[in-house]
Amino acid sequence: MELNRRNFIKFLVGGVVGIQATPLPWKFTDDTAIWTQNWPWVPVPPTGAFAEAKSVCNLCPGGCGICVRKVDDRAIKIDGRLDYPVNPGGVCPVGAGGLQLLYDETLRFTGPMKRVGARGEGEFIRISWDEAFKILGERISTLRKNGVPEQVAAVDGNGRDTTVSILIQRFMQAVGSPNYVRTPSIEDTYRLGNRLMQGLDSTMAYDLENSDYVLSFGCGLLEGWGAPGRVMNAWGLWHEGHPDKRGTTITQVESRASNTASKADYWVAPRPGTDGALALGLAHVIIKEGLYDKAFVNDTFGFEDWSAFDGKPHMGFKALVLKKYSPQQVEKITGVDKKTIVKLARHFAKSKAPVALYGKGKDGQNGSLYEFMAVHSLNALVGSIGRAGGVLLPEPLPLSPLPPVKTDAIAREGLTKPRLDEAGGDRYPFAHSLINNFAAAILGKPASPIDTLLVFSANPGFTVPDGGGFMDALKRIPFIVSFSPYRDDTAYMADLILPDSTYLEKREDVVWPVGLQYPFYAVSNPVVDPLYDTRNTGDVIMELANVVGESVGAAFPWEDYEAVLKARVKGLYDAGGGLVAYDASNPPWKQNGKQRESGYSDFDEMWDALLAGGFWYMPADTRRGSNDLFKTPSGRFEFFSKKIQQTIQTLAKERSLQTALKQMGIQVGDDTACMPHYERIECEVDRTKFPLRMMPYEMINLTSGWIPSPPFLYKTISDTQLLKDESFAAVNPATAAEFNLKQRDRVMVESPTGQVKVRIDLFEGAMPGIVYLPLGFGHTAYDEFIKGKGVNPNTIVLAGKDPLSGEPVWWHTPVRLTKV
Amino acid sequence: MKNRENSPDKRGGWLFFLVGLIGALFVGWVIFPMVLYSKQEQPVNFNHALHLNPDLGIEGETKQEQCLFCHAFRDDGTFTGIPKNATCTMCHDDPEFPLGKSEDEKKFLTYLAEDKEVPWLVYSKQPDCVYFSHIAHVQMGEIACNTCHGDFAENENLPVYEENRLTGYSRNIWGRRISGIYFDKKPWDRMKMDDCAECHTERGQEQNNACFVCHK
Repeated sequence: MELNRRNFIKFLVGGVVGIQATPLPWKFTDDTAIWTQNWPWVPVPPTGAFAEAKSVCNLCPGGCGICVRKVDDRAIKIDGRLDYPVNPGGVCPVGAGGLQLLYDETLRFTGPMKRVGARGEGEFIRISWDEAFKILGERISTLRKNGVPEQVAAVDGNGRDTTVSILIQRFMQAVGSPNYVRTPSIEDTYRLGNRLMQGLDSTMAYDLENSDYVLSFGCGLLEGWGAPGRVMNAWGLWHEGHPDKRGTTITQVESRASNTASKADYWVAPRPGTDGALALGLAHVIIKEGLYDKAFVNDTFGFEDWSAFDGKPHMGFKALVLKKYSPQQVEKITGVDKKTIVKLARHFAKSKAPVALYGKGKDGQNGSLYEFMAVHSLNALVGSIGRAGGVLLPEPLPLSPLPPVKTDAIAREGLTKPRLDEAGGDRYPFAHSLINNFAAAILGKPASPIDTLLVFSANPGFTVPDGGGFMDALKRIPFIVSFSPYRDDTAYMADLILPDSTYLEKREDVVWPVGLQYPFYAVSNPVVDPLYDTRNTGDVIMELANVVGESVGAAFPWEDYEAVLKARVKGLYDAGGGLVAYDASNPPWKQNGKQRESGYSDFDEMWDALLAGGFWYMPADTRRGSNDLFKTPSGRFEFFSKKIQQTIQTLAKERSLQTALKQMGIQVGDDTACMPHYERIECEVDRTKFPLRMMPYEMINLTSGWIPSPPFLYKTISDTQLLKDESFAAVNPATAAEFNLKQRDRVMVESPTGQVKVRIDLFEGAMPGIVYLPLGFGHTAYDEFIKGKGVNPNTIVLAGKDPLSGEPVWWHTPVRLTKV
Repeated sequence: MKNRENSPDKRGGWLFFLVGLIGALFVGWVIFPMVLYSKQEQPVNFNHALHLNPDLGIEGETKQEQCLFCHAFRDDGTFTGIPKNATCTMCHDDPEFPLGKSEDEKKFLTYLAEDKEVPWLVYSKQPDCVYFSHIAHVQMGEIACNTCHGDFAENENLPVYEENRLTGYSRNIWGRRISGIYFDKKPWDRMKMDDCAECHTERGQEQNNACFVCHK
């Protein structure tokens, strides 16, 4: 009976036999298999009640309508809205990925914070809102007490005329600082050009949907220009109709074969920066062959030569174009074949409803003013202004202005100080703000003239095309406050964070999306309650004003941000008319010029509709020939801008005409300066050392503005644009061969302002001699999915100055390539 | 050799074999299920019988209607499953139906006070890979609640919830019996894929046995 080896084996054998007759081995095997399919770390979304919340996307100035699917309180999917006029049903990839901007905690600030690490490291500690208000309020109060309120500056990237932007400007005015700076956008060019040629202070109202010939000068129609959902929808409409007889012809003018160029009917590639000359070449053919709309052109100003009251003769647009922009001359400037120019001009002018669009990729960067004027003059020549399918002339959005600010003596004194960026001064008489100059002015002085910088909805340290100048300027500013909801590059340089809520957590208005042909206003509806301790910047500004006190606090008598919204919206109601509902069978672009009745009975009904993620719009008028449409000095469309002439004359009184023009960066003489013309971009760099040019380009599936890309989007980037942590430069094989470069070779792209290391992508669609770098990579902040991916071309841009507007010319950086 | 065969060692050897055999049977049939399944009490011992007493609780013409009062369908046809606190307070906010007498009611009130949902344990929760639609069975298939869930409505106490420690499944899904052998199987005894298919076939719904009906 002893337990020897033999007996122990018998015991084991018994156990083995017995265990077979139990469920243990079979169930254990089964459960193990199930266990492998249910790893506990794989998240399973909780179920709950489904709901849909309607709102408006505020990730870009497009203002698309969105419908957010929710399970209980959790937002799970963003789609386009079918009951919304701008983008019937569609959203762009960034909009579709927007939930990551809400739920990805590593991208966001979860409450007010104070910097503890070195600038740029992104190390912060949480503080209370009271403490944050106290720190900032006391700082601003002290500056005011010391009589230097102009040392407070603000950089604002919110949409133009949005309520929060108006409140920021109001705050700066009440504090007494003229240094309110906006981040550049194509709107700057549109509004300035619109003011000079048409006398209107609104965006360009392109009636895309009704057009039968779209001549796009650089607009990234498929890269996210305007409201992406709207443009994609229009692109679909252009392709509707009989298969043999397409509705609309699309011609893309751009040096690189972008998505838009690849999918257009015709692609014309002039040398970068010569779009204006090409447009004037087309104008030459149209005028010479008598293809222009005589009825319209006869009622414009400055087409023919003219004499002033004093009898002094002036050259008109016709003479200028006929003299200087023949197809032969234009071929020399642009590199576009003269036959192509003639063919293009005839096709454009003979279409029924052609439209010439102007842009530079997406809408997040400025264009060139004279280039815009040259392109827009084509619309005038063919009579597409105020006509369906062309450029409409809607009246400005009738939002109520806020009551004027009652400034105190300190503020009044501060507001008399010159702006740091010289916008509106002698050199840049037409500019409202020039962010490149702002940074340069800070760097140009031994001590920073700005003590406290407030950054709203902007990431200038990343987006400003100035070779890293803004980032350097940030290093010198003693105190930086970021109101960004995201841990962006500029916020990492900040000393204090007062985080805004994200666009899905707050109320915010959309004012007239870029390029839309009718006045439009919408209000976002919070889809979820704020997830963290963040606050709507609109409310924060008002609270901050109260903390600063005195006349600053008194400038904000409203209860909260929403009350200000309501006060402004009252203007829409008082103006009469307008619709708050959308019928997909009768979109606004089909209602052009029809009788408009308001779609609501009283103000409360309209306001409630707006609060529910609603919108207000007024189908545009296509009246032609009525005299009150143009608000220019001549009261007509101006090929020759009297406003420019007046300004130049005023400036020339104090100095010679030559000096005045030179200061504004204009190379041509008196009359030509008032008309659309081509200005060669001058560059003082030795081109033998930097024989190539670098142009940044944008993509639909990557953000390049202040909003981070949802990390999902990085999965959609092709490996000829980003491979692991390296981004690619698209270079024509011929250019690459000159430098003995092969696909995926590593190169250093060097410009006079800096250098970046990238890999080479041989791309036939790239113009020889140009290095194309994707914009949106190379962040120094955010999380592991975004930080350090690729390089930011803005850091090597050598920005010139656009004549007259003074805005950065970011598309013309001389570079060289060195194999690494 | 003969000597050895009759030796006490030999008989003892069989004894060792038997001890091993019986021990293994004991481990397999008794110890194993005890180790495999965790036993958890529900956070609050809800009394179904009390709530469904027509004199005291939920009114309704049919039992089904009574069930659906709390375990309701939403407007879009999805099933709410185990009710949220809001469903309870729908009636109990009314001073006519006060709470707080029993220990369990007090427990529930603390959840309410902390604004936390009661973490109910769900006996018949199918794994995430299974798509089950209540409305298809209850409304289109006209199957009563108790056909699958048994007479839950008559329980005064909630049964102990048992969870497979390895797979995380409720024991009610895999089946209460560790042997897996049933002679008169009821739907609430086991809710595995074969059981779904068996019932579909019995009811002439073989087409619903296709993979993608349940595994989307």
